[in-house]
Amino acid sequence: MTRTLRAAAAALAILAIAPPAAAHFQLVYTPEANVDRPGHLPLRLVFAHPASNGHVMDMAVPLAFYSLFRGVKTDLAPQLSPIAWTGGVNAGAGFAGVLPVRRSGDYIMVLEPVPYLETAEDVYIQQITKSFVNKGGLPTDWHEPVGLKAEIVPLAKPYALYAGGSFSGIVLSDGAPVPGAEIEVEYLNHAPDLATNAFEAEAAVTPPSDAFVTQTIFADQSGTFTYGLPRAGVWGFCALGVGPDTSYAGKELSQDAVIWVQAYDMK
Amino acid sequence: MISRSLCLAATTAALLAAGGSGPAAAHTPLFACYDNFDGTVFCEGGFSDGSSAAGVAISVTQGDQAVLTGALDADSTIEFDKPDGAFVVRFDAGPGHEIEVPSDAIE
Repeated sequence: MTRTLRAAAAALAILAIAPPAAAHFQLVYTPEANVDRPGHLPLRLVFAHPASNGHVMDMAVPLAFYSLFRGVKTDLAPQLSPIAWTGGVNAGAGFAGVLPVRRSGDYIMVLEPVPYLETAEDVYIQQITKSFVNKGGLPTDWHEPVGLKAEIVPLAKPYALYAGGSFSGIVLSDGAPVPGAEIEVEYLNHAPDLATNAFEAEAAVTPPSDAFVTQTIFADQSGTFTYGLPRAGVWGFCALGVGPDTSYAGKELSQDAVIWVQAYDMK
Repeated sequence: MISRSLCLAATTAALLAAGGSGPAAAHTPLFACYDNFDGTVFCEGGFSDGSSAAGVAISVTQGDQAVLTGALDADSTIEFDKPDGAFVVRFDAGPGHEIEVPSDAIE
């Protein structure tokens, strides 16, 4: 049974009417994935349900948070400051940070969070997350594996995708492809407001039914997947339980790989 | 299979042999400069397909006067002393592949 189905079943056992089953997504967010000037870009780290604007989970101080530029690692953790991020039903602990951008090329942000205990499932979730910024249009290392325990390596520039086009990636576990990996896909449906540290209440789109809130796809036998991006905006992909670590603090661990990509309208 | 770099080199060689100059490719040249705020300027070049701009000619001019001529290094970068007054940095990778950056766009 998938984690989403298990969560839905658990909710149904408690509530007469279950809320839409939406996926947990670790967000590493900055408003613009393409910049043309040096600067310090604002970041927010939030563990939430981005399509449904559901429960915001409390984050602990990350195990690691850094950027990679041309293979050079910059520790971003010292600049993090705790925030309360407000979602549709509650506020949860997250972090604000900055990404220094100077030279042209790809900046890969990597977050290794502390596993989160999802009490509804009695399972720890650790979503190792990658997000990208490009300066100046110069492609450098967006397609290079970082070497994470659980990782999605993009096969298309994750910051230069057209709405109506597609995104492809390959799911890796300790560097090896994961045949048939289960991948959840969600649209960042409530715009993050960095001034108030909250998701906007108004949704960008209304899914036809709850079945559309979290899209589920599977990688092929080479660990590769492709998803058509029907709308401009920020899209998250989460490969479930693909990492090698399967337990944490005496409980089951789902070590997931998350990647965020940004699609733009072709005007 | 011939690599793209080899293919480009072969194309360039053919153009040069025919009297032409510069790489003929569909990629877009990219060039940016930054003020180091220590009296020097740092510039970097490249192409939209990620290929190197090492060896591309760089000139710095003030009016009609060239105050520096050089080339991008192996990392596709160059650093030089910032001239007094307004200047223009020119990236010249051949016809259709030139970029000029005026000093007032350098920050």
